[in-house]
Amino acid sequence: MAVVLDWYFRVTVALAGVCFVAVAGLVTYQLGGQALPYVPRSADEFAGYCMGASAFLGLADALRSGEHIRVTLITSRLGPGARRASEWLALAIGLALSAWMAWYMVRMAWVSWSLDDRSSGLIALPMWIPQAAMAWGAVAFVVAMLEQAARMRSGAPLSGGGETVEFSADR
Amino acid sequence: MPTAELSGLYAVLIVAAMLGLLALGVWIGLALLGSALLGMLLFSTKLPGDAMATTVFGSVTGWTLTALPLFIWMGEVLFRSRISETMFRGLAPWMSPLPGRLLQVNVAASMVFAAISGSSAATCATVGKITIPELQKRGYPENMMIGSLAGAGTLGLLIPPSIIMIVYAVAADVSINKLFAAGVLPGLVLGGLFMLYNGAWALANPGKIPADDLRMTLAARLRASLSLVPVLLLIGAVLGSIYAGIATATESATIGLIGAFILAAFQGGVNREFFMRTVVGAMRTTTMIMLIIVGASFLGLAMGFSGIPRQLAEWVGKYGLTQGQLLIALTVLYVILGCLLDGVSMVLLTMAVVLPMIKAAGIDPLWFGIFIVIVVEMGQITPPVGFNLFVLQNLLKRDIGFVSRAALPYFFIMLFMLLVIWWWPGLVSWLPSRMTNA
Repeated sequence: MAVVLDWYFRVTVALAGVCFVAVAGLVTYQLGGQALPYVPRSADEFAGYCMGASAFLGLADALRSGEHIRVTLITSRLGPGARRASEWLALAIGLALSAWMAWYMVRMAWVSWSLDDRSSGLIALPMWIPQAAMAWGAVAFVVAMLEQAARMRSGAPLSGGGETVEFSADR
Repeated sequence: MPTAELSGLYAVLIVAAMLGLLALGVWIGLALLGSALLGMLLFSTKLPGDAMATTVFGSVTGWTLTALPLFIWMGEVLFRSRISETMFRGLAPWMSPLPGRLLQVNVAASMVFAAISGSSAATCATVGKITIPELQKRGYPENMMIGSLAGAGTLGLLIPPSIIMIVYAVAADVSINKLFAAGVLPGLVLGGLFMLYNGAWALANPGKIPADDLRMTLAARLRASLSLVPVLLLIGAVLGSIYAGIATATESATIGLIGAFILAAFQGGVNREFFMRTVVGAMRTTTMIMLIIVGASFLGLAMGFSGIPRQLAEWVGKYGLTQGQLLIALTVLYVILGCLLDGVSMVLLTMAVVLPMIKAAGIDPLWFGIFIVIVVEMGQITPPVGFNLFVLQNLLKRDIGFVSRAALPYFFIMLFMLLVIWWWPGLVSWLPSRMTNA
């Protein structure tokens, strides 16, 4: 189970990374079109889709690495019991909201697929492709929330409370 | 549409729900999503799920926003390169003869790094990791060292490129390029004010600043500065391409990203591992911001349904609130929020409501963008939540109380800077007004 889960998150974050790098690649391709004799068809549109896909596919990884910020100003001043309860409640709400979001992201991709909805650019990309990537990421985010619950049961603090002060470079 | 009294009650409910979710420690983006969901359920008869998905999809796939991950990646590359040593070597010989001596390197290096990085905390960390050991070695007073670093680091937000400006520009629908240009002069002036304060402090406290130990001939100084040339070229390529109107913010971010990799490659140490680390770091930061954008975009939709922003804007008109009064009220609001939240959340959380009020009062959204960036800068150094304070606390292992007291004078300098752009709005608008095609 742990192995499967590990691979699931690895594949998801790898896809996020590919999409992230693809944004830069597509914009470079678009930029090249200003100097070189080719028309960068729909590169800007695709760069946007890659950004959205990367953002959603990266959600689980960012949760697991404690990157998603949350306010712990008040809860950190509570006693250990009350703080624990507040973390469980925050996680329950986070799980419910992320699951609600994931459900409708999956639904959107499914509707686009069944209606054969296509983008309006020069290359008519089926809309379900970027939407499915985002839906995949949104579902992985829910799984990462469940993993947080398992981690909390074994005594770990909830992710994103700034317990690791290893800050990221850009903020 | 509910009646006026009922909609007032609902508005209070939404704000209470949002504050409750944030205080409980729900991840900020999801807290916004949750309060927006409540707003949709109260104010709209439609099922909110599909509207949420469509809005979210639109908000995270927009072409203008692609400048965000690219500038973050560029900053990440430079942050992990050896650029801080380069800046110290190039700048210290010029600053050392001035009153305040190496304290001024904190400001000068922050201004240079701010022009290639979009983040305040990264600027603070990049400059601090080289100047802190150098200044400590020479026995500089610790409070001035910390304060000048915390204050000057915030210039990362005001001097373009700037992550927070991209977030604001996309949310407020102003041109990223124009907003970048608008930040240049205020950034230089604010840097100048920091330097004046450092110099004045040094003159008022003679003997506290160590002697100048970097005396060298003009030729030697110029030679030392040669190392800065690639950095200046990079600044020129990024800001020049934007200002000349030949590139969109996204394109110039890509130019900057490629330039940053070339610069880092010349300094050595660029390999597959370096590349992967920058991708992972930049992606995590981007994703973190994106979740807040996701929540805020849905909140914007819910606010639109509620009619609250429109009512507040009408209220501004009805009571004849002057621009000054509105701005003072917003300054107070943002300073309080700045103590509790990071800059991106602060801007996105309030945008849907504040922007219509600003427009109703006849304030230029471009000018307001610079105003809000300076207020966010103040939030970076106000405890308990101030990211520059966290960075310095981490670098120095001093408690946050000491760090924030040291940064306090710089908070007031920024407050003064708000008055400066109020008195001379031309400082903000002159440069963007000269841009031909933005």
